[in-house]
Amino acid sequence: MSQVYRLSNGGRIDRSKVLNFTFNGQTYQGFAGDTLAAALLANGVDIVGRSFKYSRPRGIIAAGSEEPNAILQVGATEATQVPNVRATQQALYAGLVATSTNGWPSVNTDVMGILGKVGGKLMPPGFYYKTFMYPQSFWMTYEKYIRKAAGLGRAPLELDPDTYDYMNQHCDVLVVGAGPAGLAAALAAGRSGARVILADEQEEFGGSLLDSRESLDGKPAADWVAAVVAELRGMREVTLLPRATVNGYHDHNFLTIHERLTDHLGDRAPIGTVRQRMHRVRAKRVVLATGAHERPLVYGNNDVPGNMLAGAVSTYVRRYGVAPGRNLVLSTNNDHAYRVALDWHDAGLKVVAIADARHNPRGSLVEEARAKGMRILTSSAVIESRGSKHVTAARVAAIDVKAHKVASPGEWLDCDLVATSGGYSPVVHLASHLGGKPVWREDILGFVPGDAPQKRVCVGGINGVFALGDTLADGFEGGARAATEAGFKAVQGTLPKVLARQEEATVALFQVPHDKNTARAPKQFVDQQNDVTAAAIELATREGFESVEHVKRYTALGFGTDQGKLGNINGLAIAARSMGITIPEMGTTMFRPNYTPITFGAVAGRHCGHLFEPVRFTALHAWHLKNGAEFEDVGQWKRPWYFPRNGEDIHAAVARECKAVRDSVGLLDASTLGKIDIQGPDAREFLNRIYTNAWTKLDVGKARYGLMCKEDGMVFDDGVTACVGENHFIMTTTTGGAARVLQWLEIYQQTEWPDLKVYFTSVTDHWATLTLSGPNSRQLLSEVTDIDLDKDAFPFMSWKEGLVAGVPARVFRISFTGELSYEINIQANYAMGVLEKIAEAGKQYNLTPYGTETMHVLRAEKGFIIVGQDTDGSMTPDDLNMGWCVGRTKPFSWIGWRGMNREDCVRENRKQLVGLKPVDPNQWLPEGAQLVFDPKQAIPMDMVGHVTSSYASNSLGYSFAMGVVKGGLKRLGERVYSPQADGSVIEAEICSSVFFDPKGERQNV
Amino acid sequence: MSTINVYQQRPGNDVKAESPLHHADLPSLVGKGRKNAGVTLREHKFLGHLTLRGSGHDQAFAGGVFKALGLELPVALTVVASGEMSLQWLGPDEWLLIVPGGQEFAVEQKLRDALDGQHIQIVNVSGGQTLLELSGPNVREVLMKSTSYDVHPNNFPVGKAVGTVFAKSQLVIRRTGEETWELLIRRSFSDYWWLWLQDAAAEYGLSIEA
Repeated sequence: MSQVYRLSNGGRIDRSKVLNFTFNGQTYQGFAGDTLAAALLANGVDIVGRSFKYSRPRGIIAAGSEEPNAILQVGATEATQVPNVRATQQALYAGLVATSTNGWPSVNTDVMGILGKVGGKLMPPGFYYKTFMYPQSFWMTYEKYIRKAAGLGRAPLELDPDTYDYMNQHCDVLVVGAGPAGLAAALAAGRSGARVILADEQEEFGGSLLDSRESLDGKPAADWVAAVVAELRGMREVTLLPRATVNGYHDHNFLTIHERLTDHLGDRAPIGTVRQRMHRVRAKRVVLATGAHERPLVYGNNDVPGNMLAGAVSTYVRRYGVAPGRNLVLSTNNDHAYRVALDWHDAGLKVVAIADARHNPRGSLVEEARAKGMRILTSSAVIESRGSKHVTAARVAAIDVKAHKVASPGEWLDCDLVATSGGYSPVVHLASHLGGKPVWREDILGFVPGDAPQKRVCVGGINGVFALGDTLADGFEGGARAATEAGFKAVQGTLPKVLARQEEATVALFQVPHDKNTARAPKQFVDQQNDVTAAAIELATREGFESVEHVKRYTALGFGTDQGKLGNINGLAIAARSMGITIPEMGTTMFRPNYTPITFGAVAGRHCGHLFEPVRFTALHAWHLKNGAEFEDVGQWKRPWYFPRNGEDIHAAVARECKAVRDSVGLLDASTLGKIDIQGPDAREFLNRIYTNAWTKLDVGKARYGLMCKEDGMVFDDGVTACVGENHFIMTTTTGGAARVLQWLEIYQQTEWPDLKVYFTSVTDHWATLTLSGPNSRQLLSEVTDIDLDKDAFPFMSWKEGLVAGVPARVFRISFTGELSYEINIQANYAMGVLEKIAEAGKQYNLTPYGTETMHVLRAEKGFIIVGQDTDGSMTPDDLNMGWCVGRTKPFSWIGWRGMNREDCVRENRKQLVGLKPVDPNQWLPEGAQLVFDPKQAIPMDMVGHVTSSYASNSLGYSFAMGVVKGGLKRLGERVYSPQADGSVIEAEICSSVFFDPKGERQNV
Repeated sequence: MSTINVYQQRPGNDVKAESPLHHADLPSLVGKGRKNAGVTLREHKFLGHLTLRGSGHDQAFAGGVFKALGLELPVALTVVASGEMSLQWLGPDEWLLIVPGGQEFAVEQKLRDALDGQHIQIVNVSGGQTLLELSGPNVREVLMKSTSYDVHPNNFPVGKAVGTVFAKSQLVIRRTGEETWELLIRRSFSDYWWLWLQDAAAEYGLSIEA
């Protein structure tokens, strides 16, 4: 037995292509062209899930993105799991595996169902707020239970094997929706020559025309669709995006489109293809042709499987050749819904009755139904349906719409399908994403987009223009207008002829009255995804939640992935009636992106895995790899951290590297330091103003350390700058500060001192920098250079130009280790060759490569700060005991001078940088540890500072640290204490931060 | 004595040189991509790159540049070329001059002579950046995946050049032919770009030219 509900002919499906798929472990068959929902209905699968709160069996209601129940977990393997897939939007493919997300052990025999019946009573709206609030510590327990019961699908536990990416698009006109209005708009805009993107969420373009009874120019509507699509396809500047949901309308006409490129092909994307793509569109004009969603009527037990939207039934019959039942009862308040009865009749199936809420409907479709002998009950509606797992009967009764009363006991009609239509709600979601308030129109009983500042045009159903001929004309005109506004000349065109029909007004009916009051009547569902009933909304208003936003949050109406597609208007109408106000007085809630769920893969795009963040490498990286370096992330750079040998751990490696530098010579790749080439007659004066210290007397050939402050007087960068020509300087910055220092220089030159003639260019990447440091560095360098290294010819804090390993270089005698040091700058293309030659020559000196960790230890032994480690943006040069680096007599008021002279910056007892020497040399102060003067005081203690840098030192023979302490510079020799998390206390002596070679005798040789 | 320190930074040809994409070993990948690949990549390595700064409004500056190079200063967002030399606008007071490798020192001296007495800056940045050429029918798609700048021919004609955000960093895009584009990339980011471009071009096929 298979596909018992498949009609023998009809539909836009390929019956020659049979596709096997499984749902909840059972195998079924469908056809190519089916959606998963169509295939499930063809196989008579009634129950697709259990409801969120009451655990009631639920079936398919709709045929599109508004489906509230058939939200499934799809995926044949763990890695390809996708939650929240609407079966109505998922194309069927061979091997598709889908499961319900709720219902255990199975949707048909649900344990929760029993609980649910009890639970329903126990779980009124606001239940979570009322019950789970206390005790607060129990929330974690409750949350686990709620999430499991809620059935919201689950994320895969394994890595997604597929590729997701972004595509940035720019267009003159973006048309959202490819139904009749959207196609006409795209045609008009495309013919003008504009760059047009047409996006539609469905598998194929055409929208309502794909299942329409209407003919265009006397031919099936689908023929016109095919002709238009062919014409659009032939236009060079038109991009067609089927299976692409415009999910978000953001500021400045930036819209996001989620395109599913291969989700219709299989569980995984074919090798070499992208599965989903996020189009990030900047559009000059947007045409919203999003159409309308049919609104269900709210009546008793309207959630029993077999209750469906009228239009959806037509879609299944005409587009997929599926009849989801045999005997149909239609309940409607409008003419348009009569087409389902006609379609049903045409398919050879039985229309049991049509209940029409209006007194005397006489529209064309009504007369056509009447002429075919259908039973039409006027002033009537289905007030409740019956059935446990599927509808078996519907109770039709006469109703008084105005009085909201049932006027007759009515009769139970046997049927297996109740089709319902309460009118049409324009899809205003995108139009509202930016906060535009929709406006109620009584004539169409729906909200349409209000005025908005966005450059957009709304056409067709979203405007409340429903008749096909009018929709086409509205779309064409809107498309032409959008193209014209974008600067193109619209081309005249003729539209296909549509048979005009006489249509009678819809009567306002949302919740259908029942002979019991709402609270006592069978449950009347408003939002089936969130299990919100009419009674719950009435209760919310009775409890004082009068604002529409409060009603929404109290009941969960229109929450989450649903975004109020089916339930919003009915919910508002019920709340409004309950409070005795009108719907426009009630207003509507806001709609938010995304319109339908998006996979995280599409959100991340290619910014994942090894492409998550840019990684920067120096020209010498391959050498570091070859020499076994472990790396540290410094900003985006990979810097060698340490170079372990023979299984050394970091401590052993760093101890060895430190010793090599102090005893002989070490080699550091310092290429990551920021380097800025500064030229101009006012370069020197500019440095005077941007640095805290003076630059007037720095001779060509010399270099100087400089501190940079922000206006507030706080240190923000430091480095050595060399004078390489009278009007030419090379500035170095910290590795992390390179970009912001360059910006800082440019901002001050361009905005504050445009009169200073000076230019800046980054040369960070141009120069590779090799540092040789240690007592043997001069000896080693002399073997590979022609530069005179004599200590008088080339003293500390000067630079020379010459060949190093045959390559032109600038060599700077500056030191970050306290040792005799040379920084060799080579054009980066040649750096590797130079390094290899130096390494070869260095063998006899035990030349030892060292990384950032050893660099940190060596510099800390000398008390050299690292901006960002020993400073935190709240420290002046004086706080760092670097007052020697402040030019107090410079004529121009340089940056930071005023700031650092503020009262608070010169007061006593500021936190000051000092050395910290643990009294027990084997103890080590953790970086970041807080310091106190009195460890015996009560908690909370009076904290007086913290540790900024801390290391074990082989050269010193004890561990040491730097830290900030209140008034620390006047407390040298005193003790501080660092209470640890384990209750122990580390005692340390406050000392000078220069631990090693305080007179600088090692670097000035 | 000049007030600016200018010197020959390039050693003789016998010295080992490694371009920013050296580690990718592009020559070994030549001929290994898909046939009729949608994107072809090559590195134009070891060219001379000079950053030139000066006042674009100053006739003397434009005249000096023309005298030295025989090129008019390009206007905003454009690149002009003469033979193997190209001059690109980078900002209102900043240009990039690319010359055949080895000529950068001589060209800088020529420019400095022609602009003598003016407030300018010329900086040799040849080691810090490289030029990647992308050609083929799908280059535009690769660019669209990578940058939010509009690369449609209407907005990005041949001869245009922009510095912009690309993936998660920035670079300069130059369009040099109908289906030929150049990316000017910084040395330290070259591996990121290499990985990114391989990934973005994968679905169209990527071939490498030496």
